[in-house]
Amino acid sequence: MGTVLRQGGAHVGRLIRAHPIAFTIAVFGSTMFVSAIAIAAVVIGNITDDVIIPVLDGGEPYADLLRPAVLLIAGIALYKAVGIIIRRVGASWLQIRSQMDFVSRLIHHQYKLSMPWHHGEDTGDLLAITDNDAGQATFVLGPLPYATGVSLLLIGALVLVTSIDVWLGLVALISFGLVVTTDVGSAWFIFGGFEKLQRMVGDVSAVAHESFDGALTVKAIGAEDLEVERFSRVSNALRDQRTWVSVRAESFRTVSEIIPTLGLIAVIVVGGYRIEAGAITPGEVVTALYLMSLLSFPIRLIGFVTWETTFALASWRRIARIVEADDLIHHGEMDPSGQATGTEVSGENVTFSYPGGVPVLSDLGFHIQPGETVAVVGPTASGKSTMVSLLARLWDPDHGTIQLDGRDLRDFAERGVSSEVTIVPQESFLFNLSVRENITLGQHFSEEEVRAAADLAQATPFVLELPQGFDTVVGEQGATLSGGQAQRIALARSIVRKPRLLILDDATSAIDPSVETAILTGLRDAELPSTVVLVAYRQASITLADRVILVDDGRIIATGTHAHLLATQPVYSDILTAYANV
Amino acid sequence: MSDSTVIQALRRAFQVAPTLRKGLVVTLLLAGLGTAMSLVVPITLQRIVDTQLVGVDRIDTGAVLRSGLVAVGAVIVASIARWTSLMRIAKFVPAGLAELRNEAFSHLHRLSALHTETNRRGAMVARVTSDVAALEHFMEWAGIGMLIGITQLVLAMTTMLFYNVRLALIVIAGVAVYGTLLLWFQKLLKRAHGAHRNTISDSMSAVSESITGLPIIRAHGAEAETLSRVDQALGRQFVAGFRTARFGAVLFSSAEIFAGLITAAVIGFGVIFGARGQLTTGTLLAFLFLVNLLTEPVQMIVEASDSAQAAGAGLRKVLTVIDEPVDLPDSTDPQPLPAGSLEVAAVDTTFQYPTGPPIIRNLHLRIAPGERVAVVGQTGSGKTTFAKLVARLIDPTAGAIRVGGVDVRDVSFSELRSRVSYVPQQGFLFNTSIIENIRYGRAAATDQEVTDAITDLKLVDWVEGLPDGLSTMAGVRGQNLSAGERQLVALTRAWVANPDLLILDEATSAVDPALELRLRDAIERLAQGRTSITVAHRLSTAEAADRVLVFESGEIVEDGTHAELIELGGVYASLHADWAVATR
Ligand SMILES: Nc1ncnc2c1ncn2[C@@H]1O[C@H](COP(=O)(O)OP(=O)(O)OP(=O)(O)O)[C@@H](O)[C@H]1O
Ligand SMILES: Nc1ncnc2c1ncn2[C@@H]1O[C@H](COP(=O)(O)OP(=O)(O)OP(=O)(O)O)[C@@H](O)[C@H]1O
Ligand SMILES: [Mg+2]
Ligand SMILES: [Mg+2]
Repeated sequence: MGTVLRQGGAHVGRLIRAHPIAFTIAVFGSTMFVSAIAIAAVVIGNITDDVIIPVLDGGEPYADLLRPAVLLIAGIALYKAVGIIIRRVGASWLQIRSQMDFVSRLIHHQYKLSMPWHHGEDTGDLLAITDNDAGQATFVLGPLPYATGVSLLLIGALVLVTSIDVWLGLVALISFGLVVTTDVGSAWFIFGGFEKLQRMVGDVSAVAHESFDGALTVKAIGAEDLEVERFSRVSNALRDQRTWVSVRAESFRTVSEIIPTLGLIAVIVVGGYRIEAGAITPGEVVTALYLMSLLSFPIRLIGFVTWETTFALASWRRIARIVEADDLIHHGEMDPSGQATGTEVSGENVTFSYPGGVPVLSDLGFHIQPGETVAVVGPTASGKSTMVSLLARLWDPDHGTIQLDGRDLRDFAERGVSSEVTIVPQESFLFNLSVRENITLGQHFSEEEVRAAADLAQATPFVLELPQGFDTVVGEQGATLSGGQAQRIALARSIVRKPRLLILDDATSAIDPSVETAILTGLRDAELPSTVVLVAYRQASITLADRVILVDDGRIIATGTHAHLLATQPVYSDILTAYANV
Repeated sequence: MSDSTVIQALRRAFQVAPTLRKGLVVTLLLAGLGTAMSLVVPITLQRIVDTQLVGVDRIDTGAVLRSGLVAVGAVIVASIARWTSLMRIAKFVPAGLAELRNEAFSHLHRLSALHTETNRRGAMVARVTSDVAALEHFMEWAGIGMLIGITQLVLAMTTMLFYNVRLALIVIAGVAVYGTLLLWFQKLLKRAHGAHRNTISDSMSAVSESITGLPIIRAHGAEAETLSRVDQALGRQFVAGFRTARFGAVLFSSAEIFAGLITAAVIGFGVIFGARGQLTTGTLLAFLFLVNLLTEPVQMIVEASDSAQAAGAGLRKVLTVIDEPVDLPDSTDPQPLPAGSLEVAAVDTTFQYPTGPPIIRNLHLRIAPGERVAVVGQTGSGKTTFAKLVARLIDPTAGAIRVGGVDVRDVSFSELRSRVSYVPQQGFLFNTSIIENIRYGRAAATDQEVTDAITDLKLVDWVEGLPDGLSTMAGVRGQNLSAGERQLVALTRAWVANPDLLILDEATSAVDPALELRLRDAIERLAQGRTSITVAHRLSTAEAADRVLVFESGEIVEDGTHAELIELGGVYASLHADWAVATR
């Protein structure tokens, strides 16, 4: 119990420290508000004693007394309303700002984390964390300033009631104390169930995301019913957990809500005895009653905040798993060279395995000359994509080094590697942006550069036929394009960056032979200032290459010219002559 | 649905998810009873104050105690009633929301792939998660709160009428004026919440894309630009969210001003009436407590109406999905497909995506049962579109597609999917084991049948090389496998479905040529007696097919065997020449 409250408190403390001014403003508004409550109670008591009873029971004239009384009450209401506005505007600014801070921090931090960290993560769950948990972790900030004010009020009220009468004070103390104890105890009791609930929200989001992501396949294989069933399973589990939490939460809440009313009754009864004993006046009992009845709603707030704090903690733990992950990519200090020539690429004793998996690459050594074009060839799953993704430093080798012009990739400053190396991946990924933005990715390239890159990728003709040409938005993952069209935009995206090392991972697999030939000869004739590494199967691509690296089962089994490998390596000739032998 | 009121939206939600309103009347009655009983408290208090504390010579403490006990009894009855209604809510509301969520999800899958693919993932996920959750707060708390509030308001005002008609009428008039103001304010609030919801789904989409696209962004050094795009979306969400919050603050504070003015009026007029002897002290004090009792429900109603607008904004988004007409409806009067391999025919078929020109134009075609057809053509010529038409993933805008002599629109999806397998260009794997991924092709397939399919396709060596064989986890989107391996899984998946018409859309484009040929041999051997349509850029497929269809700009420009088309010296011959140069 201690841990939950302590960690929850620490979390809330951090949120406040991030925006102390907003919090202070909100608390100020809240103080105005609660002081208005206290003033109203005293004023109503006084009016009862000085106006109502004398006029109604004593038959005194009201003329002089009434106007100030009425004005006073209206004035207090106005003052209270201003307090409310200040408190609510301050508190909601604080809450929404903190929520957005979290989302932004979540994304920014993920962008610093290394591939091994990202490897096991599910986009749907990450979405739930950014959407649901970032909110949940900050909702406590909404009622917090109010509750802070209410705590002051509680203390003030206790003092006030006690100053009226010690016995009444004791009744108030017991009643407030019971409320707080119930709330704290119940929040602690339900915490575990709530953490589970948040996980389940993540599960629902994960299944939904995956299912929509694979919608085409789901339909093509008629698996809609299976998917609906799978979704219902997580969705119904969430339902049951929600009920579990609500049943307990509401039961506790009912208990903690009775207490103030019982306290009120106790005040009357005790008050009766005290009046009888001559210790206090009826007016004072009314004041005490009024105070406590006004408090019966705000006091729930303390419970509310306790609850919200534990909810926030549950969500914060999910957020912390990401923003406190320290699996960062480490960058060096070295700036990219800025040269416009192909770079020399070399690898030494490179060994690599994916997280938790068996070794994929073992002991690779290679050396690619500046400006050389090298083909990487090998059977399916031999490790070609893995090898070239290491060259772009998407992953780091477990052992060994990869160097550009003798500079270790790990020594480059942030964005240094990507300014010298770009990769066209095997499966093209387009964003829900225009064709142009998909090529530039928001970076600054002139219209001529974009056109030239699109020309080289043989993309210009079809792009110009799209409804808005280069400004056509292509839909998420390029949904409105054909496979070959998407691939050509991905190609243009890399070419426009004029990298010193251009990597093409089977980047023309969805393109017909004629266009493919046009692209390849275009690339050759353009004499790009780049070293080129291309993963390919077809002779046309390979004859572009000066040399071939043959990969099998995670090892480089041979390097040499096409003719040489054809003559000496059966693995190579199997792949290259497969079609010729039909 | 997008401009419906909250009430209309709720009514529709109740139809979709009947559990939401299940036992609602009893729940409300119980909540009402709870509220009524809690009114007993101030009344008892008033009576104690009036008759036993104020204006008496000696206080009868025994009577005070007895009245106190009556009040305690009322509190307990009220709490039990309220607790029972809360328990019902705790059960029915999550169940109703689950119904709504499940229905939205199923409906999204009832819509065509065209619809789902061109929508943003993040936004669709929001439809079944946060948009539904927006309703939660309202249903669990605010909705009931509003009704309780109104009940409490009515009861309090009725009680006031009993005490003193004139004073009560003054209060009622105040409530009426304020209520009208509130109603007028709802419009502004609705617009603000709607705008806020939109910004939420925009930023969710931006977030979702920036996460899935991370490797690409990293490889191109576009982190800063992407992050700034996300931050801009978040900035817009902040502005919209803060705007609705400011509305809420003003609205809520107005409730306080209202309560203050009513209190002032009650005291003012109360004293005046009292001075004329029309009102006792006790009654006036009771009025003050009752006004206090009014403040709470009014604030609750105000708060709840804010929550109602938030719920409405989310609900409308969910309902827009649920009420989206199914663009690819299942046949209402399904015709059976003939047994055995299936004929395919296109009758004057035209197709056009919602944006852009016709992609398939006046297609006439007949593929005989058991025929093995290769489809080739330039990228963007409409091959995938044609394949999707045959698999009924989209419907022609004009003309018809017939499979086994039956218009595909007249075949039930369950039959069509079990007889026709389509393997898309980029096979999608689920984040589960390979064997479970294969079983997606036919849920009932036994382990033995899966292993048999692997053996048929000569993929045993490959499976044995995997870390955990068929139990190897494929990872998110199948990322633990190489691109070629993913295609192998997708192919096996189609294979266990044992289709009579197999449509492969570049299903082996990422597989190395040697393995591809082995696969093709296996498929050819096994596909005897089945119709197959294979889209491929690797023209080796065309060489081996019974017949080659050449697409250009959505039309079949050449149709014949490989040899005939080479002879013809047209489009195919030139494609093939490029291919030959590329491979030999
Ligand atoms: N993210 C990953 N996690 C675990 N294992 C992986 C991952 N990616 C690839 N592998 C495994 O590593 C091996 C090499 O994969 P890689 O993608 O490098 O092959 P490839 O040569 O590019 O194959 P293809 O020709 O099919 O594209 C394969 O056995 C694959 O299953
Ligand atoms: N969802 C869509 N909305 C709008 N246009 C689309 C959509 N999908 C495809 N298109 C367009 O339809 C045309 C045909 O696309 P299709 O995918 O059928 O080509 P394809 O012949 O399969 O090409 P590829 O060989 O590159 O796969 C293309 O110009 C493409 O831009
Ligand atoms: Mg690969
Ligand atoms: Mg295609």
